[in-house]
Amino acid sequence: MRTGLGEDVYEVFARKNRGEPLRHIGYIDAPGDELARVYAWKTYDEENWFEMCVVPRGAVIPVNRVEGPWAGNVPEGTHGP
Amino acid sequence: MTPYTEDELKKKIRGGYILESPEEMTPGYRRALIVQLTVQADTELMSAPAYWFAARHAPSTNTQVSAHAIIQDELAHANIAYRLLEDLGVSKEQLVYGREPHEFKHPYGFDQPLDNWAELVVANGFFDRAGICLLGDVHRNTSYGPLKRALVKVDMEETFHLRHGEVWMRRLARAGGAATELLQRCVDWMFPMTIEWFGLPDDLKHHSGQLDYKLKGLTNDELRQVWMSSTVPLCESLGLSVPAHYDEDGDEYVLEYPFPCEYDPDAKRWLFEDGEITWQAVFERWKGRGPMNEIYVDSVRRSRGSVTSWLN
Ligand SMILES: [Fe+2]
Ligand SMILES: [Fe+2]
Repeated sequence: MRTGLGEDVYEVFARKNRGEPLRHIGYIDAPGDELARVYAWKTYDEENWFEMCVVPRGAVIPVNRVEGPWAGNVPEGTHGP
Repeated sequence: MTPYTEDELKKKIRGGYILESPEEMTPGYRRALIVQLTVQADTELMSAPAYWFAARHAPSTNTQVSAHAIIQDELAHANIAYRLLEDLGVSKEQLVYGREPHEFKHPYGFDQPLDNWAELVVANGFFDRAGICLLGDVHRNTSYGPLKRALVKVDMEETFHLRHGEVWMRRLARAGGAATELLQRCVDWMFPMTIEWFGLPDDLKHHSGQLDYKLKGLTNDELRQVWMSSTVPLCESLGLSVPAHYDEDGDEYVLEYPFPCEYDPDAKRWLFEDGEITWQAVFERWKGRGPMNEIYVDSVRRSRGSVTSWLN
C-alpha cells in the first residue's frame, strides 16, 4: 500500500455539523500520521468541518465484503460475518 | 476473475448498477475508466502551473489569495484523481513523474501561457466552466461510485473558480478602455480554444464505450452546447463579441468560424481566414503540444529527484 516518497494511504472521514454522521469523504497519501493530518485538512477544505479524522487504510477491517479497497485486510481464514 | 461479460455489465449499468471496486469491472470498463481519469487528473494538474504563472499578475494581496486558493484546489483535485487511478492499479508515481511532458493528456489550452490578469480570469470563466460542464456531467451520470463521491468536492470548488472568473470579467468589462480591449483579446483566442477542447464532433466520433458504461452522460457536441449556452449569453451581457450565436430555428448555438481551424500559438490567434482544417491536423497540433508544455510539467516536478534521493 506504499506509494512514492514512502507514503501510505489514509482514509479521510469528516462530520459537517454536530448531530450529523461521520462520512467517508476521501483519501490521501502521506508518510506518517502527522503529515496525514495536515494533508487531509489542507486537501479537504471545501467545508468548515466540525470533526475530521484519518485512518490508515491498513487499519480498516472489512466485516461483510471481501472486495474493494480494504479487501487486503480481511483476517486470514475468515469468511464473512 | 470478472463476474460479468461486457454486455452483461453494460446491461446492469443501464439498469442503474453502481460499481464500487475494480473486481467488478470488465477489461473494457476498466480501460475506459482509466482513460477518463487520466485525462481528468492531468487536466487538473496542468491547470495548476498555468494558473500559478498567471497569478504573478494578480493586482493585490486579496487577488493573490484567491488566485492561489484556486491553484491549491486544482492540485487537490489532481491528487484525488491520481489516487482513484492508483486504486485501479495504475501507478501515480509513473503517471506524474515517469512520463515525458508531451505524454500528458490535458487539453491543448493548458499548454498556453496566461500572460496577464485578464487572461487568468477569462481562463477561470471559460476553462473552469468547461471543467464544470464535463465533470458535472460525470458526477450526475457516472457508474463508478468512488468517482461520484470524489466529485462532490470538485464540483463545489469549480463553481467558486467560475464565479471568480465571472466577477472579474464583469469588473474589467465595466471599466471600458484598455481593460475591455484586453478582455476582448482574451475572448478572441480563448473562446475557440475551449470549443476545441470538447473534441471531435459526434458525427466523426468513434464509439468509445464511455456512454455505454455510463462513465459520462452527454456527447461531445451536447457538452459543447451546454458550455456555449452559458458562455455566449455571459459575453453578450458584458458587451464582448464571440464568434457564435443562438439559432432560433435549429434551437442551438452555431459557430461563426471554420471549425476546426489552425492556431498560431505565438500570436495567440486563430487563423479563421485559412479556413477549415481536418481533425487529423488538430490531433497533430495537440500531440506536438503547446509552447508551455515542458515548462509547466517541469514546474510541478523539478525537485522530486533531489528530495527523493535525500530521503532514500
Ligand atoms: Fe479543478
Ligand atoms: Fe478549476
